[in-house]
Amino acid sequence: MKAFRALVRAELATFSRDKTTLVFTFLFPLLFILIFGALMSGFGEAKEAHIGVVSVDEERDVLDRVVAEIGSLSISRFEDEARLREALLEDDEDFGIVWTGTTLRFLYNAGRLQENSAFEEVARGIASRFNLVRQGITPILAIDVTEIGGGDDATWLDLLLPGILAFSVFSAGLFAVSGHLTGMKQRRLLDRLIVTPMRPIALLAAIVVVRLAVVYASTLITLGAGMLAFGLNLTVDWLRYGVFVAAATLGTMGLGTMIALLVRQPSSAGNLASAVSMTMMFLSGIYFPLEIMPAFLRAVAAAVPLTYMAEAMRYVTGVLDMAELRFWAITAALFLLGVALLPVLARYVVAADRR
Amino acid sequence: MNGTLHLAGGHILVALREKVTLFWLLIFPLFILTVLTLIFGNLGESGEMSFRIAVVNLETTSPGPVDFAAAIARSFVALSMAGSEGAAPLFVLHQPAANDDRSAFIDGETEALRLGDRAALVVIPEGFNEAMQSAVQGEAGESYGATLDLFLSGGRTASDMAASIIAQVLAGLERELLETVGRFQAAEAVATESVFVGADEDGRTYVDYLLPGVLLMGFFTSGLFGIPGTILFNRDHRVLRRYWVTPLTVPRYFVGVTLGQLGLCVIQFGLIYVLGRLAFGATIGIFRPLPLLFLVLAAVTFIALGFLIAAVAKTGNAGMAIANVLNVPLMFLGGLFFPVAGLPLILEVVALVNPITYLADGLRASLDVQAAAYPLAVALAVPAGWILVCGLVTARRLNWDVAR
Repeated sequence: MKAFRALVRAELATFSRDKTTLVFTFLFPLLFILIFGALMSGFGEAKEAHIGVVSVDEERDVLDRVVAEIGSLSISRFEDEARLREALLEDDEDFGIVWTGTTLRFLYNAGRLQENSAFEEVARGIASRFNLVRQGITPILAIDVTEIGGGDDATWLDLLLPGILAFSVFSAGLFAVSGHLTGMKQRRLLDRLIVTPMRPIALLAAIVVVRLAVVYASTLITLGAGMLAFGLNLTVDWLRYGVFVAAATLGTMGLGTMIALLVRQPSSAGNLASAVSMTMMFLSGIYFPLEIMPAFLRAVAAAVPLTYMAEAMRYVTGVLDMAELRFWAITAALFLLGVALLPVLARYVVAADRR
Repeated sequence: MNGTLHLAGGHILVALREKVTLFWLLIFPLFILTVLTLIFGNLGESGEMSFRIAVVNLETTSPGPVDFAAAIARSFVALSMAGSEGAAPLFVLHQPAANDDRSAFIDGETEALRLGDRAALVVIPEGFNEAMQSAVQGEAGESYGATLDLFLSGGRTASDMAASIIAQVLAGLERELLETVGRFQAAEAVATESVFVGADEDGRTYVDYLLPGVLLMGFFTSGLFGIPGTILFNRDHRVLRRYWVTPLTVPRYFVGVTLGQLGLCVIQFGLIYVLGRLAFGATIGIFRPLPLLFLVLAAVTFIALGFLIAAVAKTGNAGMAIANVLNVPLMFLGGLFFPVAGLPLILEVVALVNPITYLADGLRASLDVQAAAYPLAVALAVPAGWILVCGLVTARRLNWDVAR
């Protein structure tokens, strides 16, 4: 127990002195939230879009009526198309409509690649309704929409924040082994430690305890900062959150162990872990919704553990609903992966240097 | 001169032999180009999206000649058939069997919706045909004729997207019905057109936007990690001081490493450009003076940034740490993959001093992919300013391990 306490202190000191790890653990998730929050905030928001309208006077009312009936669009009027184009390029308007008296022209900012397909859907709705109303026909078919489950009015930002939390946990667990522990092996620190009375499991337990503390701290800071910066209102289930973060940290340490065992040189493990985490980040539905991916990439995403971690994190933060059984299955799978590989990791600690 | 060229060749060979370097310099840019093009290149196009939806028809009577409820249900069935050339159907449809209890089916589907297993549930209510019959004949006055119930899964993007598509399907059906009974005159329908402001109106695609960004990303990663990695680890491992006992001088070493790094950029350019053109159908023509000028300026700017890191870092590991910290934020804030807008003030400042912002803007404008946000002189001057600053700091501070 004394050795364990000393190792925890040593691990904490090592962690707090490692500026790079500190930056990656605490600063990066915050930066990601700010950057991706601003970049991807357009997903799913097309129905609240700001529309610039240029219209011939006689039928302005018709267009107004139609636009008012679709979603919660807000309208700004422009005197001519040139000014509307300028406003679009300045991002003052989301998309534009020019009614010339014979043609309905929809203008989009070519630069808003990630949002334009949603704006085009809204535009098609406006065009078909405009055609009916202009011929004096009251639309005959209404749709009564009811949302089931999930957070109230959850936006892509609500989904992004827990996704980034999941990525933080994933990186912390992965690099605790393939990075930190393999680095100790590379520098022959483990060779020195194992000739002391220290048991390998005490070292692993110290690493787990420190990483868990760090992961809880960093995810809570990111969660709080994200909610404050973007005014998000997530309802966290703290019990499930606590259990899931612990299981996920252990599970990703298990994945880190598998990487460490795969490579010949301990120093390569950190590099492989970097490559794996960056690749998975783009395929797990954290930054882009899985639903917009083609079928082939969705199949790849289904094989990526981070996809399930993001899903579970969205559940415990109240953003998405999920079957209780599925949540516990994901949590248990991660926990068992970590626990099952701990003895393997202990053997790795005492194994002869593979260099 | 020979020694310098050998050094440049050696720099390239070392980079290509190291699996890690190979991954970050070549494989990762190609991966990003592939994944982002696959995701955003065909966003919203049919055959690329597929939604699991349920449709329940509760209507049991048909007072008029047309069973509207059945026609709507059939249109969803048609959209759940596989498209041409094996394209995925738009909908994977769930419907109750003839003997199923409709109410229990709706309960089950509502639960599936809550858990995200369905994107939408469409319920055609009882009395729908009667309401539609009078609406089609224009007897409903100012009010809507009939109402369909659409249930969505809260907070899920797939559900929102499915809702937009379902609304379009129903709007098309509505227009068809009105046309059939002679109330809607298709000949009088207004023409519609879409214009994308800020691009040359030559049908540029997302890959045309992305390809210059990925080229710059390749150069950026290469310069940011390659230069400090080579110089600092050679210094840490005391390789540099061995060079200085040979006829090799610091200026020749500097030129050799720089030429080697430029050679790596040429290799990256070749692979990324060929993949973009051949595999993803990019149409940009880069072999013109201004785009080539921006590419060369970018390569030199990022090499200069690499030297700046080598000048301020004390060890190889510290250099890699600085490069890692700068890498992702500068790439994304420079607008390499997506246009940058609406950033918080502090990130806006970072974006404004970031040379990538100007290089990406200038390169894309020179390729007619998007309208320039900055004048040409500014797009050239800011990176040139960075080269000057990096050069001065490197000249004053970089420790070549000569005097030890």
